[in-house]
Amino acid sequence: MTTGEPGWAAGVPNDVEMWRHELRRLGWAAGCAPALALVAAVAVVALTAGEGLERPQASLVLLTGLEALLPLAVAMAATSVVAAGRARELHLSLPTPYAMVLGRRLGLLAAATSAVAVVFTGAIWAAGLWSGPSLVASPLLWAPAVAWLGGLAVLVALVTRSLLLATTVAAGVWLAHQLFAASFAAHAWSRPLYLFPVSRLDAYPGWMTDRLVLTATVAPLAAGVLLLLRRPERMLTEEEA
Amino acid sequence: MSGVRETLAVCRYEFRMQIRKRSLWITIALLAGSLAAGRFGMGPRYAPASPGAPAREVMTRWAFLFSVILPIAFGMALADRLLRDRRLRTAELLASMPPGSGGRLTGTFLGSVTATGAPALAAMLVAAGYETVRRGDPMMIPWGLAAFAAVLAPALVFVAGYALVCPLVLTAPLFRVLFVGYWFWGNLLLPATLPTPTGSLLTPIGSYAASWLLGTPVLHAGIPGPLSFLRPEPTGSAAAGSIALLVVAGLIPLLAAGLLRGRWRTA
Repeated sequence: MTTGEPGWAAGVPNDVEMWRHELRRLGWAAGCAPALALVAAVAVVALTAGEGLERPQASLVLLTGLEALLPLAVAMAATSVVAAGRARELHLSLPTPYAMVLGRRLGLLAAATSAVAVVFTGAIWAAGLWSGPSLVASPLLWAPAVAWLGGLAVLVALVTRSLLLATTVAAGVWLAHQLFAASFAAHAWSRPLYLFPVSRLDAYPGWMTDRLVLTATVAPLAAGVLLLLRRPERMLTEEEA
Repeated sequence: MSGVRETLAVCRYEFRMQIRKRSLWITIALLAGSLAAGRFGMGPRYAPASPGAPAREVMTRWAFLFSVILPIAFGMALADRLLRDRRLRTAELLASMPPGSGGRLTGTFLGSVTATGAPALAAMLVAAGYETVRRGDPMMIPWGLAAFAAVLAPALVFVAGYALVCPLVLTAPLFRVLFVGYWFWGNLLLPATLPTPTGSLLTPIGSYAASWLLGTPVLHAGIPGPLSFLRPEPTGSAAAGSIALLVVAGLIPLLAAGLLRGRWRTA
């Protein structure tokens, strides 16, 4: 039970029941999206192994799964959680703030993402296919990009109240980062903001600093999300604006 | 004959419903505007045509600039269209109506394609109007329409077929992830990196049609890679073949969905 909510009473779900309920509300598609993104990378390696895929190439595909596919999957799942919420009027009439309900669901998504990313990292390291930065720094490979793209998608969903705009902006930014990697790397100001340096650039000097700068740029996105969630009634809109 | 009329009625309804979605217009305007503003920094193949270039080249360059990312919006817009009937619990009610499942699916598809294509066509016409004023060539508008029909419209048909049907099986969030991943892998990633259909007749980015209109290979058309029989020289007949293949390939999921729905009903 969280602060600000009424104390336990008969008929009020306990913590486990509440988290189970939130997990169900998150939906299997959103909850499994991070794992399926990584499974897709493994499937690409498995399907192309017969076509003479070299070990360095296989390693690059797996790192692409972790660095690029995972953030895309999380951004799309997070957008669904925020933009496709149902019965908002009912939620707004309950003692638990709607922001907290969304926070729990996004928290579950973040937990699922972290768990599968850590397990996946360990698995490809154990298979001798890890060619990224040191294992200790490996969360910096995926976490900043996940937070940045996910934060952007949620912010756009909250500002525009449109699933279409939020998913297209996230997809467009992802695609632009894939297509114009060289342009991002060419400028000192844009290099730290580049989401996928390990899988798309030949060399990435100052990677650690760049990732920390990228992590810092998540703060304004998160602040925008928190600010908008303080007025959840803004999210009441007609279907498919 | 009455089946055709009912299908057209579904199409008209679908078109009128979707054309009023503000987010569709805003999304296409945002993407097309960003591409137009950022094209100078996107490399020589996306840069504007040189001064004095013929209208055909100028407008084809606009079409393939838009075809890089605009179809993403088509897919995103249509991903939950059929799921919506299920979510609102109107699918059973709609199934009891005269057009039947096949007619309704066809009407929804045609209405969706025309409504989603309208903002993209408007973007092409704005670009053509701008080039007409800037270059003083009135042929920009007809060539803009031709480039839209050859490069963007087949992409829209192809994407619409899969975007309407696949989320019924995959769910919309998963379809969106896979679709964006596919768009990069299947249209833009070079076959030297990974086996990919990039540069083949079956790439909806419109590489063959754009290459034929420009008279020079662009967007990797015909680049060596897997399925070599789908990678002929980018000639006029190859471009026509590519357009036909994309349209047929886009209809396959609809056909499959129609057949499966019929089987579920009789089961």
